[in-house]
Amino acid sequence: MNVDEASDQARFTEVFVPYLVDAFRLARWLAGSRADAEDIVQEASMRAFKYIRGFSGGNPRAWVLTIVRNTSYSWLAKNRPKDVVLSDDLNQDDREQFEQAGTQEMQTPETALIAKLEAEQVRKAMASLPAPFREILVLREIHDLDYCTIAEVAALPIGTVMSRLARARRLLSATIANGIP
Amino acid sequence: MTLSSQDELLLNAYVDGELDPIEATRFEQRLRADAALNAQVETLRALRGALRSDLAEDVPSPELRRRIMAKSNPPPRADRNSWMALAASFLIGAVLAGATSFGALNYRSSDDLAEQLVSAHVRALMAPQPTDVASSSHHTVKPWFNGKLAFAPTVADLGAQGFPLVGGRVDVVRVEPVASLVYSHGKHLISLFEMPNTSGASAPVTSHKKQGYLALSWSEGGISYWAVSDTAPDELENFVKLFRAATANP
Repeated sequence: MNVDEASDQARFTEVFVPYLVDAFRLARWLAGSRADAEDIVQEASMRAFKYIRGFSGGNPRAWVLTIVRNTSYSWLAKNRPKDVVLSDDLNQDDREQFEQAGTQEMQTPETALIAKLEAEQVRKAMASLPAPFREILVLREIHDLDYCTIAEVAALPIGTVMSRLARARRLLSATIANGIP
Repeated sequence: MTLSSQDELLLNAYVDGELDPIEATRFEQRLRADAALNAQVETLRALRGALRSDLAEDVPSPELRRRIMAKSNPPPRADRNSWMALAASFLIGAVLAGATSFGALNYRSSDDLAEQLVSAHVRALMAPQPTDVASSSHHTVKPWFNGKLAFAPTVADLGAQGFPLVGGRVDVVRVEPVASLVYSHGKHLISLFEMPNTSGASAPVTSHKKQGYLALSWSEGGISYWAVSDTAPDELENFVKLFRAATANP
């Protein structure tokens, strides 16, 4: 092993490994199952290792989450091509419709009803949302990222982050209020 | 209830703590007067709580962690792209996991220690500064360690002999802080690690080779010393000889 490889490994250990839990959570919410998430994180770790020299400082957590996000989508496209709707693939008209669709009306389920939900029901409700909405909710609520960092990880303008997050919450509320499938 | 999209964004940003203090105060005034709006805030907070409800169990398996840790320390000559090969390196992964307290495997062999110390040396070379305290005087470096370590490290000035002191830092090895002194010699840096010697026995100089680095270790006076560098072997031996002579009890 030469010095370059040794330093790549040291960097990988410093940059990727501390965010393994974050990586796993994002992959699990995007893919739905623990087994798939582990596959994705393993693949993401190989990508991260390969590109570790490209990490030029900045926020390592955002860097790791970006790689996991991209790996999740390429993994899903390969393994479950029928399930994924990527907003990146939509044309401009479709995309606007996609962002604006639905009513502004917020179907507000009882707070007590939400509090009583089992983790499994929450995952089901989330699974029924299109991936771009699920992703933004996970980055915000599970990873507790601020809008700027979400914009960085999801490669979106900050205005889109805001409108998509609002819409994602509306959709999730409506799903819960209407009875989770 | 129906919200304007502007108000909806405001509501979301408020719940996310993204409003500046003035906007937030204004929004809170509205909340006090508007029960329906307040209910929406509660709904968003309840959604957050629901999403976070099984966070504690939402962690990767120890097996995945082991596989990925193995990646950061693969065995020599193994094909790094082959997960089969990495599976064979389970032991090394477990060793590393032990080091970060995820595993229970104890390892005490000096070979693993040499590897950790070489890694610490390499990491220091990559950092913008190889030291946390930069000084060529042991009068500055030695007191800097006060309160950072459970023992007093030995520091020698060897500038006159061609090994000027560059400074010191604290590394963590086996979850214990150790003293690291940095000396320079020509274009090369030498890391001298010092840690309490649990057995207390003195040991003669032993040499270890790791990844192109030479490590020389010895123990005396209740301290284990490890000198790590990529300088020529006879230079490092010379350094060790000079250091031991300078710090020998008269």
